[in-house]
Amino acid sequence: MNTITHSLIPLFFVLLSTAAWSQHEHKHEHEHEHGASDSGADVATATPATGRLTITPEIEIALANGGNAVVAEVLGVVCDFCAVAMNKIFGRQEEVAAVYVDLDTKALNLVFKPGASLDDDAIAALAVQAGYRIAAVHRSDAILGS
Amino acid sequence: MRARAQLLLLLIFAVGSAAVSARPVSYVGGWTFIEESNRQSTAALIHYTPSPSWSLGLRNEWVRDANYAITSLQPTYLLKRWFGQEYQANVYLQGGLGLASGTSGNPLSSTTAATAGVIADWETRRFFLGYNARYVDAGHFGDNAMQLFRMGWAPYEGDTQDLHTWLMLEIDHRPESADSVSVTPLLRFFRGPALLEVGFNIVDPTPLLNFTYRF
Repeated sequence: MNTITHSLIPLFFVLLSTAAWSQHEHKHEHEHEHGASDSGADVATATPATGRLTITPEIEIALANGGNAVVAEVLGVVCDFCAVAMNKIFGRQEEVAAVYVDLDTKALNLVFKPGASLDDDAIAALAVQAGYRIAAVHRSDAILGS
Repeated sequence: MRARAQLLLLLIFAVGSAAVSARPVSYVGGWTFIEESNRQSTAALIHYTPSPSWSLGLRNEWVRDANYAITSLQPTYLLKRWFGQEYQANVYLQGGLGLASGTSGNPLSSTTAATAGVIADWETRRFFLGYNARYVDAGHFGDNAMQLFRMGWAPYEGDTQDLHTWLMLEIDHRPESADSVSVTPLLRFFRGPALLEVGFNIVDPTPLLNFTYRF
């Protein structure tokens, strides 16, 4: 391979990653201005806070329907595959009305169906099925930021 | 001597295959499709995870220059996972047992093939380190060993469902190849259940293309 090609390949990678980074920055500026993301997961907590519920449209609806909320701190959540796994495992539980894994707060946000719940041990066991571990579970009104 | 070396590799690396591109054990009940193409081979794998500690997959790998393909059952065992507030680290053992068959007019008859390897990774939201070692015995089609090391850096921390971007560098060692050590800079794009890696080997000019989708 010639020298020009060798030089162009790293340049190509830098340009691509810069473009992705710019898109990310622009998206977050947009979120701060309008409180919404283009992913459909509108997030109301602009500043991440451990132990606070992250409000997505699904969580807001589930809360409005009278469900109780839980925020569980999760160890080892570092990527979207982690979030997908937790969403799949918890989303198929009949007690759960809404679930959202927030990578920024490293928290599993759950809202149960009215009158339903999962105890801490059940939440921990389900997290293990997803491949992760729960560090703490918060259930008080404080998780709603009130 | 060669057999002893093979046995030693097996003992050192325990059992396996698959790159360090994605976690080879998913959530319970999860299916994962993985495509990998590097300077030596092109492979497709679909695996199912019945337990948090292991998965079972069906893998087809075409070793392009040697004109053979291996179709195998591939179990992966999560030997150890370390959890932290900011990191996760894993060690997996991986094996494979199947059939090697000639491609592109290769007249050799089909034969039993076995693979064995180990995968290790450490990851935060900004940094990634990975290692993969693998030994393949494809009978009269040949045998080979390889190891690769990968490091990565994310220029920003993406939140859930954001587009995650990683700059990575992969160094692989394949003793049987003319260029035994090669370097592949690559980009990883990651969003939700889909992961795409695009790179180019600058020593043995070949594209790298990996794709993973988790169902």
